[in-house]
Amino acid sequence: MDNGVNKVALYMEGITKRFGQVLANNNITLELKKGEIHGLLGENGAGKTTLMNILYGLHQADEGNIFVNGEKCEITSPRIALKLGIGMVHQHFMLIDNLTVIENIILGLPSTHPPMLDVREAISHFKSLTDEFQICLDPFLPVWQLSVGDKQWLEILKLLFRNVNILILDEPTAVLTPSEVKQLFQNIRVIVKKGGSVIFISHKLDEVLDITERITVLRDGQVVGTVSTSNTTASNLAEMMVGRPIVMKRKKRPTYKEKREVLVVKDLCCNNDRGLPALVNVDLIVHSGEIIGVAGVDGNGQKELAECIAGLRKLTKGLIKINGMIVERVIKDQLLLGYIPDDRNTVGLVENFSVAENLVLKSFDSPPISKFGILQWAIIYEKSNSLIEDFDIKTSSPMTPVRQLSGGNQQKVVVARELSGKPAVVVASQPTRGLDLGAVEVVHDILLEERNRGAAVVFISTELEEIMTLSDYIIVMYKGRIMGMLEAETADVTLIGELMLGHNKRGDV
Amino acid sequence: MCNKLKGKHHEKPKLYYLLISKLISSGLRPIIGIVLALIISAVMILASGVSPIVAYVALLQGAVGSIASFANTCVRTSPLLLAGLGVAIGFKAGMLNVGPEGQIYAGAAAATAIGLIPFSMPSWVHVIICIFAGFLGGVVWALIPAYLRAYREVSEVVITLMLNYIGIYFVSWLVHEPKLLFEKGAAYPQSPLIMKSARLPILIKSTNLHVGILLGVFLAVLLYILLKHTSFGFKIRIVGENPMAARYAGINVKKYLFTVMLISGGFGGLAGAVEILGLKLRLFDLFVSGVGYEAIAVALLANCNFIGTIFSAFFFGALKAGATKMQIVSGIETSMALVVLSLALIFVIAMGFKNGKLFSIKKKANK
Repeated sequence: MDNGVNKVALYMEGITKRFGQVLANNNITLELKKGEIHGLLGENGAGKTTLMNILYGLHQADEGNIFVNGEKCEITSPRIALKLGIGMVHQHFMLIDNLTVIENIILGLPSTHPPMLDVREAISHFKSLTDEFQICLDPFLPVWQLSVGDKQWLEILKLLFRNVNILILDEPTAVLTPSEVKQLFQNIRVIVKKGGSVIFISHKLDEVLDITERITVLRDGQVVGTVSTSNTTASNLAEMMVGRPIVMKRKKRPTYKEKREVLVVKDLCCNNDRGLPALVNVDLIVHSGEIIGVAGVDGNGQKELAECIAGLRKLTKGLIKINGMIVERVIKDQLLLGYIPDDRNTVGLVENFSVAENLVLKSFDSPPISKFGILQWAIIYEKSNSLIEDFDIKTSSPMTPVRQLSGGNQQKVVVARELSGKPAVVVASQPTRGLDLGAVEVVHDILLEERNRGAAVVFISTELEEIMTLSDYIIVMYKGRIMGMLEAETADVTLIGELMLGHNKRGDV
Repeated sequence: MCNKLKGKHHEKPKLYYLLISKLISSGLRPIIGIVLALIISAVMILASGVSPIVAYVALLQGAVGSIASFANTCVRTSPLLLAGLGVAIGFKAGMLNVGPEGQIYAGAAAATAIGLIPFSMPSWVHVIICIFAGFLGGVVWALIPAYLRAYREVSEVVITLMLNYIGIYFVSWLVHEPKLLFEKGAAYPQSPLIMKSARLPILIKSTNLHVGILLGVFLAVLLYILLKHTSFGFKIRIVGENPMAARYAGINVKKYLFTVMLISGGFGGLAGAVEILGLKLRLFDLFVSGVGYEAIAVALLANCNFIGTIFSAFFFGALKAGATKMQIVSGIETSMALVVLSLALIFVIAMGFKNGKLFSIKKKANK
């Protein structure tokens, strides 16, 4: 910022908001300067979303004032927010897939020549915007044909088209690949160079450190502090977020003595949901008492690998053996496999079922849970209560519907069900996705315990950091192939990064 | 949020408390819906110049005012209940069977065909075989939608709906000259009377009250136990709630969809069989009209709860039985019964089925 102007674009003062008895925002003060990228950091439930919803007019604050460009404003609806130049890009896109790019852009705007739709003027405005930011986006392309990154860029363009100069980005990188993230960051920097201001919400520390100038950390609805990015570190921020230092280095582990081959994957090929090859000649051996971390950019066959091991996906070639037994169908035997699917809400849990019912989702068909086809509810509740205690699942009762639990506790239900049988193989596909830091720690510790018990653990994640933290060995997947296997203790991050991008010069397979 | 729940999870669930609160929350909505429907209908009755109190008193008398009228109510309840249970079990597996009407006709035709055969065995054997035939008739009628839904992913709604017309006119064809179930010399296209041995026992002398209602209540309880207490029923519920999770739990989703659709159709067939064997005693053209459609509303009114379906079927049975008396006393058409049912259903749906919350307006709190 060398233009010398440090004027304040937005000032939120003493914002307090209650939902019933829950104090979601407690006396929050936030200052956004013109041309600033301001990070808003906090765990799930810290109050970030509430604060932004207040700013965007979706909620009204119980107490406090909002000043936009120095003037006090009452923002009672998103329409007013837009008029004031405040726009928000939500985590989930608000686009209409069947309409074209330009139709999505002008959606909701009054036509310049009513009652006819005038696209020509809109297109010239659109073209000038895309030229300005040097992006290539065909205005006549239907939105469903766009990549995820382009869709997000379209959401931002929609706001720029409406002359928004205060942009709120709510976890914008959650769905992007690393290269798309890079592109997004470049664009954000262009926006602020042109005088816009950006509030960047995330719980990925490295991204916030990369892009922002100042960071405000929220915890339990309160501001812990606002720091300038250049004067802070990741561990410092993590401590502010959770209120205690987080160990980001490798977890200590005993060496496991009786090493034997538990999971054998041989020459495996399979197709993805669209019938295209997803895995190509994958060979993998996982021993007892080790964690194999599967690194890679999302969508390079990790999910398919997990599904093949669980028997959910048809192989087109090769075979998979667990303890010498060939996997042919869905494995229900809890002694053999514990599978934590990446999408717990649609695959791992039945949301309207109770905690107890979800805990026996796989074991209900055999004694002692059911006898002669009759469910033994007394035993189910007894077992559930002990699992709830063992895994510290926070629920008011085993009869509570699982949808009422927090994300972390929902994941604990899945983990408890899958691991209670002490399986020989544990496949954990993105088990920490969407969880806050505290819950991530718990999942990590549980997986490490499984390894120490002697399970062969396959740990799939797109977060390199947790792969490094947890794994004994790391394999990197790229376009359905294993690019290389490295010992985690000595693994070089830049080498992994190269392998993730498909360079296989130094990989020692 | 989590902190509030902390420490609570060691307590044992208070079973009775939960059961009662569940009963209230699941029963309250239909009752409110019915009350609102009765109020709106009262306004309509008033508009046609009749005192709603007079009309409703007559309705009540006609429904449960005497043993004869109570018997009449029960007789009208049984096909609604049986077919309604079929809709409910389909719904539990995530399917909407709107074809009870066709399945009733198919079941009735099958039961009549067996009922016409002279039989030298004890009467109860003949009756059971006829009821079973009726069930099978409904199953056959559901075969096509079941296959298409389970294995070809075709919506069951359209197929079952279309098969209603085919079922109705198939029976019409059967009872017309010179087809299988045609009675010679009859003024109306109909079958001969079924054998005495095939008729359902009557519960109260000099009324029509046959055992069909008991069969319905028995099966409702049986279905409730099946879904709540057996692993077979548990699988049906998983398939209905979340087919993806069902597949992941190792359940053959297609097989269960197929099976449940057949059972659902079978219950429609039962309804038709009971109507013939207990009340009509012969098959004729358009022998029931609209009962199958009413059964869908009955099941939905009870939120597809099996025990609740007993009550909602009885409620509508009472409305239909009482409506005749209401027409005689006040001149209000019997079709008012359907208006009340429809309004009640609209209110219940409008109040929202999901999450058991009354008048719930979803507002997402900070997450």
